[in-house]
Amino acid sequence: MDPRMCRKISSSESLPDADNVEYEVSNIIAPQESDDNFMLDGSPEPHSVTWLDNDQIDELDLNLDQTNLCFHRVDSADIIYRSKKKKCKMVGKYVMGDVLGEGSYGKVKEMLDSETLCRRAVKILKKRKLRRIPNGEQNVQREIQLLRILRHKNVIELVDVMYNDEKQKMYLVMEFCVGVLQDMLEGSPGKKFPQRQAHDYFTQLLDGLEYLHGQGVVHKDIKPGNLLLTLDHTLKITDFGVAEALDMFSPEDTCYTGQGSPAFQPPEIANGAEQFSGVKVDIWSSGVTLYNMTTGRYPFEGDNVYRLLESIGRGEPAPPPPSLGPTLGLLLTNMLKRDPDLRPTVHEIRRHSWVQARPPLEVGERLVTPRSRRSDELHTSTVIPYLVERHYPSAQEYFTERDYRHELGDGGSRTLSTAELSDAESSRRKRRWHSSCGRLPSCRLT
Amino acid sequence: MYNPDINDYQLTSIITECCGGVAVVYSALYKPNNQNVAIKRYFVDKTKENASLIQQDILTRKELNHVNILPYLTSFVHGRELYVVSPLMTFGSCRDILDRYFQEGLPELACAIVLRDTLQALQYLHKQLYIHRSVRASHVLIGANGGVRLSGLRSAASLMVRGRRQRHLHQLPPPDSDNTNLMWLSPELLEQNLKGYDEKSDIYSLGVLCCELGNGAVPFAEVPTTLMFTEKVRGSRPQLLDCSTFPEPCLDDTEMKSEYICCKAVLCPTTLMFTEKVRGSRPQLLDCSTFPEPCLDDTEMKSMYNGDSGVGDSADAVSRLRQVYAGRKLSDTFHHLSEMALQRDPDKRPSATQLLNHPW
Repeated sequence: MDPRMCRKISSSESLPDADNVEYEVSNIIAPQESDDNFMLDGSPEPHSVTWLDNDQIDELDLNLDQTNLCFHRVDSADIIYRSKKKKCKMVGKYVMGDVLGEGSYGKVKEMLDSETLCRRAVKILKKRKLRRIPNGEQNVQREIQLLRILRHKNVIELVDVMYNDEKQKMYLVMEFCVGVLQDMLEGSPGKKFPQRQAHDYFTQLLDGLEYLHGQGVVHKDIKPGNLLLTLDHTLKITDFGVAEALDMFSPEDTCYTGQGSPAFQPPEIANGAEQFSGVKVDIWSSGVTLYNMTTGRYPFEGDNVYRLLESIGRGEPAPPPPSLGPTLGLLLTNMLKRDPDLRPTVHEIRRHSWVQARPPLEVGERLVTPRSRRSDELHTSTVIPYLVERHYPSAQEYFTERDYRHELGDGGSRTLSTAELSDAESSRRKRRWHSSCGRLPSCRLT
Repeated sequence: MYNPDINDYQLTSIITECCGGVAVVYSALYKPNNQNVAIKRYFVDKTKENASLIQQDILTRKELNHVNILPYLTSFVHGRELYVVSPLMTFGSCRDILDRYFQEGLPELACAIVLRDTLQALQYLHKQLYIHRSVRASHVLIGANGGVRLSGLRSAASLMVRGRRQRHLHQLPPPDSDNTNLMWLSPELLEQNLKGYDEKSDIYSLGVLCCELGNGAVPFAEVPTTLMFTEKVRGSRPQLLDCSTFPEPCLDDTEMKSEYICCKAVLCPTTLMFTEKVRGSRPQLLDCSTFPEPCLDDTEMKSMYNGDSGVGDSADAVSRLRQVYAGRKLSDTFHHLSEMALQRDPDKRPSATQLLNHPW
């Protein structure tokens, strides 16, 4: 059953296997006579209907242990099932799907290219919100400029840019990715990856960085939150909002501004140096990223941004735990050298023995898979329900168990299972599907 | 060995234009040995991405050697164009043959031969860890002696990625100029989820090819791409059309009318849908039996099919086509084969080897 199709409000008593239904509120309805008896009595008089939406249900869930709650008694046959509306929306040739993530600038949504059927992600930027972020508009323009030039399998590809002046929105259409490393870390035991997995991602990060630095681009905000994974586990470096293209003709990689995330900033930026080597900033941040991926911790911690920057600026990083093994420990210490000149270059890191050899998967270790927002392990396209809505529009949005019994020709002598109710939903859809096909826009005479 | 020199070839005529106007196929004579060859001339400058695809095509074909796969002879650059030489396939592609001579489908025996040879090519490709990803009639070529050869390897993908054997792939094949290739692709390939797809995806395409060869028309040809996508994801299967899937009008006119009207009263929109389909988009994707789960009013629907046919149609060509479909009977094994290949669940689909052992 697809929980998105049908939000339900029910009592677990009348529907025996309702336990596995999402949005279900159990024990809210006070004990009542068995549903079976009730139905045998003939048609009960209609009861008043209580509407609950998702948030309210969540609220109820939270409040369950507080006592004085008052409930309307609703006959289970009168419970209203609502097939959730998924209004299909197009932007250009793209069909919009669900939200994948949210940032200060706006949302990231999934999209489907209606011509090639390729899954895409779109960053929706609202002008109004951008103005409130320091350097917001400027950063976006720079990001677009950079992404238009860059083309590498470990750098996110900008597919299309669309503007909607009326809504003051900007759409950056990009490759579709299933997950962010940071989310995966947060959902994994110990908030870290097995070394084998970290190695896989780190080597891809090196490939991407090597390309970027070769193109004279410094990212300046490398962190797990800016590293995405595609369906086939290709790592993509994203978010070039604070990246910088170096002057092609200058022999050095001097930068003057740093706007990255504090925990990943090197001492030179934490100390407010006026100019610093851009490339070595990325090396430091990659070091912190590797540290974080393999230990679940950060080399520097602090209660707040100021403390954190202070400890980065003054102190030495927490030494890598010995459990990592000597080779990885040495690599991390090298990458996290206070003096930028002492940090290795991408080429040197590549030749390091930890990078060269692929660590085995230890006994008991499990690879971490991308997390899903909606308990869909396969990360199926979220656009499909919208397409279904578009191509097979529903005739009746609400229905009750009684309606369905009526349709089945069932006298109401038995209790319907949840599965049957979801079947009801799908067979309804099927019927609707039939009825809609006569109006297929593409049908024409041969 | 063929020389990579334009002076050794005499271009005789243009066979076709392809790849959305980027390439032209010529028939030519190879002067040193008087052999007929086909030369594909690409205008490489038009797009950069195409160049890498052509390269991919050549590299893949160089690696492969099978009687049912179009071999690569040589290639060379002359002026601003790239020439790729292959043996001449006199009868062109199955699509050309369908369009020109067999608009309502090839005879069953011909389908069987073409499909068998295509399967042999796929069996070989799969053994070499390739997924073809664009099995379609326009990529199945027929030579002068009736030999069948599979082409279109530009969208083939290897399961070996960076030296490692992958179990599944996730990426869509490179888009063709008009995105028609999507119609042959399997639901799991189009879905682009974490499960990915494997060589069974080609078997699905082969099933679509079955319908294409048998019916003459490509399933899903006239529906919007997104609808084709949802249809496939929801498990509806294209079908071979004959009297079993497409019953003959068996009632006389008045009876039919009355039944039609009564049907109309009961399930009017469905009838409408049905006629629309027959008229417009060639009906294969619509049939109650193609639905994944048995639907409640199955029997009602069946009666409907009988009642409907023959009413409200004016176009001659269409009714002729309907007559052909309704009047013929394809063997049950052919139906079985196409159904097996078109199963929604890739794990249930037989492999190329298994299909080659199919009784049909």
